[in-house]
Amino acid sequence: MTGTTVAATDAASGLPAVPLQDTVLLPERIGELTGLDGFGLGGELLATFLAAFLIGNLMLAMTGVAGPWAKRKITAAFTDRIAVNRLGPAGLFIIVADSVRLLSKELIIPENADRPAYDLAPIVVAASALLGFAVIPMGSGLHLADPEVGLAYVFAVSGIASLGLVMAGYASANKYSLLGGLRAVAQNIAYEIPLVITGMSVVIFAGTLQMGEIVAAQHETLVEIAGISIPTWYAFVNPFAFVLFLVANFAEVGRNPFDTPEAPTEIVAGYQTEYSSVHFVLIYLGEFLHIFLGGAIIATIFLGGPAGPVLPGIVWFIIKIWAVFFATQWLRSAVPRVRIDQLIEIGWKGLLVLSFANLILTAVIVGLIA
Amino acid sequence: MSTGLERQPAVEVTEDELEAIVGDRALARDDHLNAPGFVIRPDDVQDVLKDLRDEAGFDHLANLTAQEYPDRYESIYHLRKYADPTQEVSVVVPTTTDEPVSQTAEPVFRTADWHEREAFDLVGIDYEGHPDPRRILLPETWQGHPLSRDYDQEKPQLVTLTEHANPIQPDHHDDESDTMFLNIGPHHPATHGVLHIETVLDGETVVDVDPDIGYLHRCEEQMCQQGTYRHQIMPYPDRWDYVSAGLLNEWAYARVAEDLADIDVPEYAQVIRTMGAELSRIASHMLALATFALDVYGDFTAIFQYGMRDREVVQDILEDLTGQRLMFNYFRLGGVAWDLPEPREEFIEKTRDFLDGLPAKVDEYNDLLTANEIFQIRTHDTGILEPEVAKQYGCTGPVARGSGIDYDLRRDDPYGYYENLEWDVVTKDGCDNYSRVLVRMQEVEESAKIIEQCLDLLEDWPEDERTVQSNVPRTLKPDADTEIYRAVEGAKGELGIYIRADGTDKPGRFKIRSPCFHNLSALPEMAEGEYIPDMIASLGSLDIVLGEVDR
Repeated sequence: MTGTTVAATDAASGLPAVPLQDTVLLPERIGELTGLDGFGLGGELLATFLAAFLIGNLMLAMTGVAGPWAKRKITAAFTDRIAVNRLGPAGLFIIVADSVRLLSKELIIPENADRPAYDLAPIVVAASALLGFAVIPMGSGLHLADPEVGLAYVFAVSGIASLGLVMAGYASANKYSLLGGLRAVAQNIAYEIPLVITGMSVVIFAGTLQMGEIVAAQHETLVEIAGISIPTWYAFVNPFAFVLFLVANFAEVGRNPFDTPEAPTEIVAGYQTEYSSVHFVLIYLGEFLHIFLGGAIIATIFLGGPAGPVLPGIVWFIIKIWAVFFATQWLRSAVPRVRIDQLIEIGWKGLLVLSFANLILTAVIVGLIA
Repeated sequence: MSTGLERQPAVEVTEDELEAIVGDRALARDDHLNAPGFVIRPDDVQDVLKDLRDEAGFDHLANLTAQEYPDRYESIYHLRKYADPTQEVSVVVPTTTDEPVSQTAEPVFRTADWHEREAFDLVGIDYEGHPDPRRILLPETWQGHPLSRDYDQEKPQLVTLTEHANPIQPDHHDDESDTMFLNIGPHHPATHGVLHIETVLDGETVVDVDPDIGYLHRCEEQMCQQGTYRHQIMPYPDRWDYVSAGLLNEWAYARVAEDLADIDVPEYAQVIRTMGAELSRIASHMLALATFALDVYGDFTAIFQYGMRDREVVQDILEDLTGQRLMFNYFRLGGVAWDLPEPREEFIEKTRDFLDGLPAKVDEYNDLLTANEIFQIRTHDTGILEPEVAKQYGCTGPVARGSGIDYDLRRDDPYGYYENLEWDVVTKDGCDNYSRVLVRMQEVEESAKIIEQCLDLLEDWPEDERTVQSNVPRTLKPDADTEIYRAVEGAKGELGIYIRADGTDKPGRFKIRSPCFHNLSALPEMAEGEYIPDMIASLGSLDIVLGEVDR
């Protein structure tokens, strides 16, 4: 493939063409820039690895900022406090201090822990989220792969996290962990179905599972008000599906009001009770990655991916996933936790029914128009 | 509001009628300053208490005091009426020193369960027929009974840790059922201190709850028995309910000691006391609301921090008034330590500012808490405590009032300046966690009304009549064998103290009636059959402070 970028034009709104999306994926570009593409399969693999390294670190850096710093600052803003402000500008260097602190803590492993599972669980949790980012088009050329089953792939790999939570839950040999693990499974099963079904309604609109195509399909103009064109982001086209997806997503990543698997006041810390030091960091990292992955999926299939005026695509993309992160922290500060039985009830009796209704409705509408 | 338990004017029972009810089961009379007392045989306990409850309406076992005399042990059952706590009667049950066995009162009053365990633990009286005769405050391997006369305080407790039953025992699991035994606490985010709850779970459902207390037992009763009435006891009450209700606790001691030694308190001091006590109540309820939100929300959320923020203002005002933030030691027998801080106007202005801002803050709480739908589905119809059950357990304070029991000592057994002020007792008949929260929320507003009126009085009080203390002898020596039980409405409920004077300047027996102790004992009734999160919420709604439970 040649290195030319195809700029999508927005003919309907008459606005100047905005470079929307690169059809050239990141590994290919890296291969081209470094000359690795001349080395056959080996070079291609190396280029892919470099690209994955880049994207993985970008995401890890964001969780690094989010965990020790942004979370504190946002919560503090909601609760009339200041939070970290001693190290560096606005306390940003706390990230370094916290990293050192967390990594230098004693690694305590329970006597009866089921060793391989206990050690693997944090890796499974963190890795499953990282894998998901592979197919997310982040704009500005940051897009690792664009398989035809992109959306299904994302749901599949992020679902692996449930496995990690169960492993963490039972392998810790702690009753609180076990309760947390069981809750996590019950919750993930209950909410993954509405999540996927609601995602399907987007697929019906877009006619494809390919992430790049879904983003491209959201680039037309829905309505134009006073010269500002509202694009056909699926959040605008079908706000109902958007809200459903958002709710199911909060439950899926286990954030308030659905944070029952770790519910500090009830079951101490749920499946992560017995994890310390590096293990703890990995689990925590995995949770934040999942929030960001959830945000990335929402941004991609409902908020037009990296689309947005003036600023480069990646900036818009990061703004959108941080907006979702911000929403989780807002809910954390303001909304009580639902009880586990109520949570399951909302999932099976409420969201599931609504998501199927939405799916059928969408199918009917799309069928009538097309 | 219809509670189904409308406040009936209590039938007045005269002493003659009481004598008729007890009849020839009374061996002698042993009147206390606050109530007539009947001495009965150790095997008549259930009969007499039952008759007093059913025929004379004494439905509130306020306290049980156990003590040892040179020639006998004695259990005193302090009975009152929920409908009229000024009607009191004491049932005194002596037992021999050789064989201190007395019949249990547990079948008549459930609350006797924990009380008799405590009496056994600290004094050494055995209660025959008690369903659960274990120690309650001390470890089960403790040698001796610390409040008995022959107890050697110097003797070390030589029991190694390995001889204790391991509280973290692996399981109560039996092959028949699928239940799981779970230790909640003593280190757990939601136990509000060092409380250990032995829980048996069936899935997420709580099957059995057994609160294990005593981790914070600091021998408060014993320490008070070693202090002189005049000055040395007053600092201790601050340490019972230590979170912010210090002045309320001090008042409990001040009231009982003043009644015992017949000390007058100047009216001006009573107004200051009333104001300070209500400020303490606001601070305490704010904390209760905040921590309850913490239990239901699960994190240090907005509502928790707002509660702490507003409590901080009260704490500042109290600091200005007393010179301390938590351990006030501000009350004195016969008054208070000193007048309002100078400049007076500034203090009054500051307090007024707080009161003016309060309605907006309460609205904010209502927005965030009580109007929140998730909060409502979490708290409605959970942790049900029926009024009759609450009475059995001797529940008082917001816990009782949340179950529709119209019982508030500030109105029903008046003291201080409350009689002369305009305010209402808040009751809700929901009997659930939501009602208890709502009661506290509205009590904050009522307290604000009281403070407002006190401020008006203090502002206009003539300058030459501002006596903060009456003349009290340097050494107080109440007559030997005078006994008295007096209670005030603390932040958590009826905080009472029993004192027996022995003719010296120190109490012969000093017994604390802790409202949290009673309220916590009702937890199994509220939690069994519900889910874990509801048990945690119920525990939060009881608003216990372990310093007061364990004393």
